[in-house]
Amino acid sequence: MRSEAPVVMSVRGVSKRFHMVVPGQEMKTTLLHPLRAWRASRRNRDLWAVRDVSFDVGQGEFFSIIGANGSGKSSLLRLLAGLSKPTAGTVETTGRLSTLLELGSGFHPQVSGRENAILNGLLIGMTRAEMEALLPSIVEFAGLQEFIDQPMRTYSSGMYVRLGFAIAAFMEPEILLVDEVLAVGDARFQEKCYDHIATLQRKGVTIIMVSHDLSAVERFSDRAALMERGRMVLIGTPQQVVTRHLERLAETSPEIRRALEDGIEELIAASPEAKERFDEALKEHPEFLRMRAEQQARGQADGTGEPPAR
Amino acid sequence: MTIRTPGERSLRSSFELVAALTSRDLRLRYQGSVFGWAWSMARPLALGIILSFALGKVLGTGITAEFLLAGLFPWFWFQGSIQAATTTFVGNGGLLKKVRFPRAVLPVSVVLGNTMQFVLSLPVLAGFLIFSGHEPNLAWLALPLVFALQLALILGAALFVASVTVFFRDVEHITDVVMSLLFYATPIIYAADRVPDSYRWVTRVNPLAPLAEGWRAILLDGELPGADLAISGGLTVVLLVAGWFTFRKLEDSFADAI
Repeated sequence: MRSEAPVVMSVRGVSKRFHMVVPGQEMKTTLLHPLRAWRASRRNRDLWAVRDVSFDVGQGEFFSIIGANGSGKSSLLRLLAGLSKPTAGTVETTGRLSTLLELGSGFHPQVSGRENAILNGLLIGMTRAEMEALLPSIVEFAGLQEFIDQPMRTYSSGMYVRLGFAIAAFMEPEILLVDEVLAVGDARFQEKCYDHIATLQRKGVTIIMVSHDLSAVERFSDRAALMERGRMVLIGTPQQVVTRHLERLAETSPEIRRALEDGIEELIAASPEAKERFDEALKEHPEFLRMRAEQQARGQADGTGEPPAR
Repeated sequence: MTIRTPGERSLRSSFELVAALTSRDLRLRYQGSVFGWAWSMARPLALGIILSFALGKVLGTGITAEFLLAGLFPWFWFQGSIQAATTTFVGNGGLLKKVRFPRAVLPVSVVLGNTMQFVLSLPVLAGFLIFSGHEPNLAWLALPLVFALQLALILGAALFVASVTVFFRDVEHITDVVMSLLFYATPIIYAADRVPDSYRWVTRVNPLAPLAEGWRAILLDGELPGADLAISGGLTVVLLVAGWFTFRKLEDSFADAI
């Protein structure tokens, strides 16, 4: 963290517990199956999605959170966003917070893009006048000039996402929370989104991102953190954290280890089955693993053993 | 642009949000239908006419269409609002999980949409009453009081059922059953003074009963509502406060429970 920057988000000892009961039926279980409910409570089938997490984020900082699926990243982000309350601990936020959680939540297919955009802004906490002033820039960024007055059921899924991102991006947040949303949309729009995030970063917006896109994490973050089974096990530079994450993955998956060691091409050539499993791993970590593995292979070919500088 | 800290949202934004949701829901409800909002009056009108035939002519109770309609219009406002409000949180799970906004706007805007519908149907009811010989009179000035009380009652009940349904889905069905019972426990197809003394308590504990009587006293007889309305007002305040606190207690867990 930049030492001179004031802390805008302070997370202290935050934990979140979920009861392992089918949602919405807790009362039903208790009423109809008291024995089962009692046994369940005895077996302590609680899931601690987030355990004792503490960190500070300074103003203007780009902070990324990575981790395997189910490590608690998204639960943590929901706690940061104030969408659910921590079981223990506190989250203190200073400044206007905007979330890029799931783009376009709350869009209604029967009404126009314009009306949805205004309603979305009102949900986030803008006034109608503020939204109407921002609308031309939003429409232009999303590239929806001809479509904005059409009902949204006529939109493609790409158009949905573009409008959703454009709205969130133009809310002039002081703190922006970004979840796995940029994996959707075509490559050109993704690039545009990252460009816009970089612009926000230059403007001094604090950004907290949860992502599987490790190359983006390395490219943008000032600091990163690694989540493992609900705990924040490492906070450090993006390179440190990404490397540790890959090491941990390598420990659990021989394919990934071999890919990192030998480079992917030989591996694929050797066994079609390995390719299948590797592709699965790649789904979770698009682009980066391949890139890293290729770099590693190239580095070994150069005799340096180190990945070349980016 | 003004900068606001989280949790703090301009009152203006909240009002505009409720207004936008209300108007969207109203427009969507009758989008593409030829007769539009006229459909909102179809049920009370049809029921009023058939009941005045069945009860008034066939059973010979002398009950008139205007007597029934003066009770049915406010009843359907109540019933429609509560039933629509029940699923507002459950049905918007995606939104509750992803966006932070004042949760109360969801049931409130549904109630307001139904209220708009009721208000828009009032001229039709008034026209019918005038046509059947009930001249407008000074007592009509008391209508806003009865209106406000019923709105408060609806809001309290709506907040309560919408919040509890999140954790106990059966409430949706319980509400349906309670509505059918409440229809007959409220003096809509009969006058409260026809209720035998030993059962009068039913109309006393039911806060809707003095309201139904009140609508009719004003609209049909040109009289001010009776003292029972004060009891109903007290119950309404209790219900509104209980509904609000239930909602406040539960709202933090909505996103986790849905």
